[in-house]
Amino acid sequence: MAMTPFHPSRRQLLAMIGQVAGAAAMYQAMTSLGFAAESGYSGEPDLQGPRGRRRVLILGAGVAGMLAAYELRRAGYAVKILEYQDRIGGRCLTLRGGDRYTEMGGHEITCDFEGDGYLNPGPWRLPVHHRAVFDYCRRLGVPMQPFINKNNKAYLHSATAFGGQPQRVGHVEKDMRGHVSELLAKSLNQGDLDETVSVEDREKLLEGLKEWGVLDSNYRYRVSDELGDVRGWEIRPGGGLMPDKKPSQPIDLSPLLHSGLWDQLFNFHDYLFEPPMFEPVGGMDRISDAFAREVADVIQLNARVIRIAQNENSVTVSYEDGGRGGTVHQETADWCICTIPLSVLVQLEVDCSDAMRKAIAAVPYASAFKVGLEFRRRFWEQDDWIMGGISYTDLPLVQIAYPNYGFLSDGPAVLQAAYDTSTAGRTFTYSWSTMTPQERIDAALALGRRIHPQYDTEFMSGTSWVWHRVDWSLGCYGEWTDDLRDAHYKTLCEIDHRLVLAGEHCSHIPAWLEGSFLSALDAIRRLDERENA
Amino acid sequence: MLTRSLSYAVVALIVMTGGVSAQQSADPQVTQGEETDSENLLERFSEESERFTQSEGEALYRTTCQACHMEDGEGSAGAGAHPPLANNPKMNSKHFVAGVILIGYHGMPGFSGMMSDEQVAAVTNYVRTRFGNDYPDPIAPEQVEALRPPDDSD
Repeated sequence: MAMTPFHPSRRQLLAMIGQVAGAAAMYQAMTSLGFAAESGYSGEPDLQGPRGRRRVLILGAGVAGMLAAYELRRAGYAVKILEYQDRIGGRCLTLRGGDRYTEMGGHEITCDFEGDGYLNPGPWRLPVHHRAVFDYCRRLGVPMQPFINKNNKAYLHSATAFGGQPQRVGHVEKDMRGHVSELLAKSLNQGDLDETVSVEDREKLLEGLKEWGVLDSNYRYRVSDELGDVRGWEIRPGGGLMPDKKPSQPIDLSPLLHSGLWDQLFNFHDYLFEPPMFEPVGGMDRISDAFAREVADVIQLNARVIRIAQNENSVTVSYEDGGRGGTVHQETADWCICTIPLSVLVQLEVDCSDAMRKAIAAVPYASAFKVGLEFRRRFWEQDDWIMGGISYTDLPLVQIAYPNYGFLSDGPAVLQAAYDTSTAGRTFTYSWSTMTPQERIDAALALGRRIHPQYDTEFMSGTSWVWHRVDWSLGCYGEWTDDLRDAHYKTLCEIDHRLVLAGEHCSHIPAWLEGSFLSALDAIRRLDERENA
Repeated sequence: MLTRSLSYAVVALIVMTGGVSAQQSADPQVTQGEETDSENLLERFSEESERFTQSEGEALYRTTCQACHMEDGEGSAGAGAHPPLANNPKMNSKHFVAGVILIGYHGMPGFSGMMSDEQVAAVTNYVRTRFGNDYPDPIAPEQVEALRPPDDSD
């Protein structure tokens, strides 16, 4: 294609190909980071169980620790979980009205939502191929509802394009498809692709492009009633003597390319985000609550682990009762499964091989934050016809996610009004993380009103979460690179005498619940094998 | 600690005034004041998404390091800890500090892809002369460049 001498669209076509290559390269990078990996779940574990009385001490009452406790106990092991916090669930949590949390630095996060809206600071949507999560939700009775990730009525927005006016996802998508179809048809008709496309294929392609891109009889992407049926209407078809319908006007190619909105469309492309996605009804902590119903009786809260000592036969964990500086106690067990995030674990005294110690110290923890805002009414539904889904912008708030529950209801509702992670390669999450809870709300309002001016009159209250200001995770998730994985991943996951690590950091699906589930399942399978070797 | 809570109270007051004015008043002066407040806050963000555009050490500290090491460089401790930059003997080596900013340390991410040699030098020199630190030997951008990993194109 690069050799094709046609004008003046050649430069634009090259720019488009460049952007496609960029997206492919980005996808490849995400795969190697583990962000696009398929789940390896193959059903519930088939454990042999212990040969005699065997005690397993689990560190951390997040989903990995609780899943391990649940399955090991079913298989006949005696289990106990030590948890630092005064709550269970780890990073799988939900903020609702009345919640308070003191983050590092002493700042208090308040949540004063008056309606039934909530904010999931950590995981908030489930890809349907994350089978372990779905299977445990089925077994433990966690009801699911659809999560709308891509809504064609949601917005793509650039502060510097189209006068700052947001554009609909569906419009950008269909216009890009139409323009690319027109260019490809033009190229085919000019014989530019004769060497690569046979005559029969060319006819098939042209026929398909006409349909796919909604091209006119001259293979041009132009406004028409036919396009109205695909792209929507400026005046929608009405009833009775309402005005005649009028198709909407496509956006020209060049401004679209320069707006960056096409790039924003790639936010929906990953396999992870393929529709339909799901979420637990009522908040993501319904999943951790379900595990807690099974294993709460073996969880000891307020226990801060300070040392993991082990020999060939047993492991002894020292912990402070009531947090840093509390009375030191010890627990001894035959095995230890440690789900403490590496960012915290690296600061503890752990008996393990030098290689494992290096692995624990090697993985940086990603920056991530969220802001949730409650508004008096669902103006995004009532005024803008956005029912669920996510709008993207090049403003530092990056995205606004609309609730996928309570549609059309009166009364307050909560937007996830700002969210980003450092894995996307943007600076913004670091800067949000430096702000006080009040400043985050102010910034989310000052930026978000440029997309939804209704913010000014409808705002009630806000809350937020900054993962680097959480003392029990010191960041959001293990941010692996190819080089780090090559050097440390296997060592990190291996059983070291009586100790094995688990959690999202011990998986190829970091940051996702599925990663922590699979890590826990694999750790207990190998522990059980070792027990019975 | 007193100073810190006092400054939060001031911020909260400004914000409350701003919020009331947005809802109840069209008075241009009040509105202008509110916009200035949010503009100051929004200046915390880089003008580019993939690199920091601030150049001064203090501005860079306020938009990155402060998240963990806090406003006063005291760090914070709970289950795990973000180490203080004050009274920390590791600050003695400018090469160590600049190296940590570039490539990270334990759970801390590195910033080599988002900051130039000049910016890393500016932050290094800032944190080594604030929070009670008074190290007399600033690092130069060329010395930061020498610390970058070999495959680092920045």
